[in-house]
Amino acid sequence: MATLTAGRKPVLRRELEALVGADGVLSEPDELLVYESDGLTLFRALADFIVFPTSVEQVSAVVRLANREAIPFVARGAGTGLAGGCLPAEGGLVISLMRMNRVLEVDYDNQIAVVEPGLVNLHLSQAVGPRGFYYAPDPSSQQACTIGGNIATNSGGPHTLKYGVTVNHVLGLEVVLPDGEIVWLGGRTRDALGYDLAGVFVGSEGTFGIATKIVVRILRKPQAVKTVLAVFDRIEQASAAVSAIIARGLVPAAVEMIDQLTIQAVEDAFGCGYPRDAAAALLIELDGLAVAMETQAERIVAACRDAGAREVRTAASEAERQLLWKGRKSAFGAYGRVSPAYMVMDGVIPRTKLPYVLGRVNEIVAAHGLRVGNVFHAGDGNLHPNILYDPRKPGEEARVVDAGAQIMKVCAEVGGSISGEHGIGLEKADFMPFIFTAADLAFMQRLKDAFNPRGLCNPGKVFPTRKSCVETGPVAYRPHAIETQGLAQRF
Amino acid sequence: MPLLDKLRAIVGPAHVLAGTELSPYVIEGRTPEAAVRPGSVDEVAAVIAQAAEAGVPVVPWGGGSAVGVGVPPARAGLVLLLTRLSALVEHEPGDLTATAQAGVTVAALQAALRARGQWLSLDPPDAARATLGGVLAANASGPRRHLYGTARDLLIGVTVVTADGAVVHGGGKVVKNVAGYDLPKLFIGSYGTLGVIVEATVKLRPVPDEERLVAVRFERLEDAGAAVRALLASDLIPNAVDLMDAPAGAALGLPPAPATLAVGFDGLGEQVDWQVAALASVVAPCGGAKPAPLPPALWERLAAAARDAFDAPAAMMTLSVLPGVVADTMEQGAEAARQRGLASAWCAHAGVGHVTATLRAEGERQDAAPIAAVLEDWRAAAHAGGGHASVTWAPLPVKSALPVWDDAGAAGRLMQRIKAQLDPNNVLNPGRFVGGI
Repeated sequence: MATLTAGRKPVLRRELEALVGADGVLSEPDELLVYESDGLTLFRALADFIVFPTSVEQVSAVVRLANREAIPFVARGAGTGLAGGCLPAEGGLVISLMRMNRVLEVDYDNQIAVVEPGLVNLHLSQAVGPRGFYYAPDPSSQQACTIGGNIATNSGGPHTLKYGVTVNHVLGLEVVLPDGEIVWLGGRTRDALGYDLAGVFVGSEGTFGIATKIVVRILRKPQAVKTVLAVFDRIEQASAAVSAIIARGLVPAAVEMIDQLTIQAVEDAFGCGYPRDAAAALLIELDGLAVAMETQAERIVAACRDAGAREVRTAASEAERQLLWKGRKSAFGAYGRVSPAYMVMDGVIPRTKLPYVLGRVNEIVAAHGLRVGNVFHAGDGNLHPNILYDPRKPGEEARVVDAGAQIMKVCAEVGGSISGEHGIGLEKADFMPFIFTAADLAFMQRLKDAFNPRGLCNPGKVFPTRKSCVETGPVAYRPHAIETQGLAQRF
Repeated sequence: MPLLDKLRAIVGPAHVLAGTELSPYVIEGRTPEAAVRPGSVDEVAAVIAQAAEAGVPVVPWGGGSAVGVGVPPARAGLVLLLTRLSALVEHEPGDLTATAQAGVTVAALQAALRARGQWLSLDPPDAARATLGGVLAANASGPRRHLYGTARDLLIGVTVVTADGAVVHGGGKVVKNVAGYDLPKLFIGSYGTLGVIVEATVKLRPVPDEERLVAVRFERLEDAGAAVRALLASDLIPNAVDLMDAPAGAALGLPPAPATLAVGFDGLGEQVDWQVAALASVVAPCGGAKPAPLPPALWERLAAAARDAFDAPAAMMTLSVLPGVVADTMEQGAEAARQRGLASAWCAHAGVGHVTATLRAEGERQDAAPIAAVLEDWRAAAHAGGGHASVTWAPLPVKSALPVWDDAGAAGRLMQRIKAQLDPNNVLNPGRFVGGI
């Protein structure tokens, strides 16, 4: 959906080139195609320009130009998002932060780092690793996703059970506001002055402005790590084990659940050592002091056995630990071996509701004539049902979307949420009334108006719209151009 | 019908206080027009809607422990007492979450949670008096924030009544949730200027098997500062790292020392034992004495050690600086006071750079100018340490001699825009907060 007239476009292109350089602007149709979707290829939208600034001043200048022209703009990192949050839903500019990818400063004494938004999440841990530090939030896409993108969605990951999500690690942000003004929200110290604007900005899905510098906490690597694999013959036993672990006063670093379909896909693809006939497995990680690590592991093992685990073993070596984690983190890729396509759901429920909700998920998906694989953050109740389907079969994608909506309704009904870490974006904007009242949404809209009064910054996201894909039926699936060229796969 | 009659119709006559009943609710010399005690969220909403219609400002009031913070209100208006909203609404141990009404005291909430083996890992001072809603609104914290963070790390859902009397929810009841804007973050530390918190859902933790507090004495503050840096760089995982100068240490009844580091550990018994032993070897090279056990009762007094140092304080300031410069800031700040002939007391949650300082009053009718001058010096020290500083308590003449809150710069203008959007008629705690909000 392009918004500019053919005559206006060349003029604007020259202006953008003057701001960011001739090699920093894309506007040819085939170039724009690469940026028409994110990790959720269900939604597509074309921008007029993709712009690649290299400094905060350039970001500000581009945003001011967009304001002058009254054209919408949206920031984009690696495009690994799963809710369509970085799509140019109403045309205009995509501002890619991928050329702003430096670690600007590391202050080991105060355990903070200052980074640019285009820095790949994992690269920060690699940069500070040699000094014994790491960056805690670890989304499954951490090898590709950027810290700026993590800011937008307030990303989580397996280890957020113990260490918290992105916002718990962000102290300050330099931000280009939607009118182009450059401001600092928060700073380097732990306590903000005035409202916690950095805290409010994180998770605002790119609708409050564009982060250009980010002050994050870095943590000391734990002295010891212990990884336990518990295998169950029934999925309810695995769910019960999660509650049993919590009830014993243990807070592991991570508790991940993997169901049978997923185990089989992973074993077919990578052979990570999960038993293929298990109904479910829990991957549990403890970290912290070396002393008493055994005692804690024994408590975990006992809790799992009491819940009916048929086998509980601890990784004997770092290599075995890495292999078990590879199984968990590669699950999405492995689905490719058992299905032509799949859609990742993201919902959250109170932990005690796991057995009930997993049962409902399976019922709903089966009723739609589809299959589902579950691999998720059981410790904090963050579900990821992956609905498998064949996009070439007419009507199947619509059934997936419908099943997804029903699963979200179940999450809402048990007191949960419609997103734990992927965000609302375009995908779930119309599900917001499942958990928020009109008054809640009106208040959020006023907050947005304080940051983004003209609505040019990432329009069409987060808030429900009257007309949406969900109501009108999704577009037929087409493999993305970069998929057909073998340049990328969905994960 | 006049406002007071309308309020009596909403909450019942017994819950509208007027006349001499208002004496406990005088705010820095200003007597409110009335104080009202609603008994439900709907009553809070109705009261605020009436006050807004009448153009009377509303001052939310929990335990009153932070009521002296900030700029005194131009008009006290209506004090909104939340103490009747004190129910523990929901506690599901298997979910490690609880929902409570805003008026429950921190002590009462913790007692109810502990009875089921869990706790809210937030330990602000004055727990017997401070309420959950007040602690969130003031972003109060205590020594265990070193390991467990502050309200922003624990609050997962919030219900507020807005300036126009609407009931609004943000966040939810699950520990991980990115649906919608993070309203819990917005209300933490907002001092009741954007909405009145009426209910909150928090993350909980299991009560640890064991917890221990030990003291390490130093001959010099700078040595203690070096020990803090060494401790942060070590494998130890303390849950508190509090630094006190001599007057603050004396206020807690500690043996006299130029600097005392109070370090807490929790976990399994063997973890605590190992860490206390390892602490000795971390601090010794910096000149720290052998760690000595402290009575558990001292935990809750740590955060207020500087405040409690003097019977008659002249002013109090909270400084937020980088952890690495805490001891330097304390030393420079005490010296700045000395140069103007004033005594001061300092304590800090050193590992997170949260510093509290108190000046001692000299005589009955003290001139505000030298006190304000010292506070300005302290603020400059905080800026030099990469942070900011605000006056958290002072008599009115001092508060009018320097800005109570630090300057929030360009972000301050954004805060004003947020206030204008969410409370356009300036009903909620007007004039109290940063940037004149």
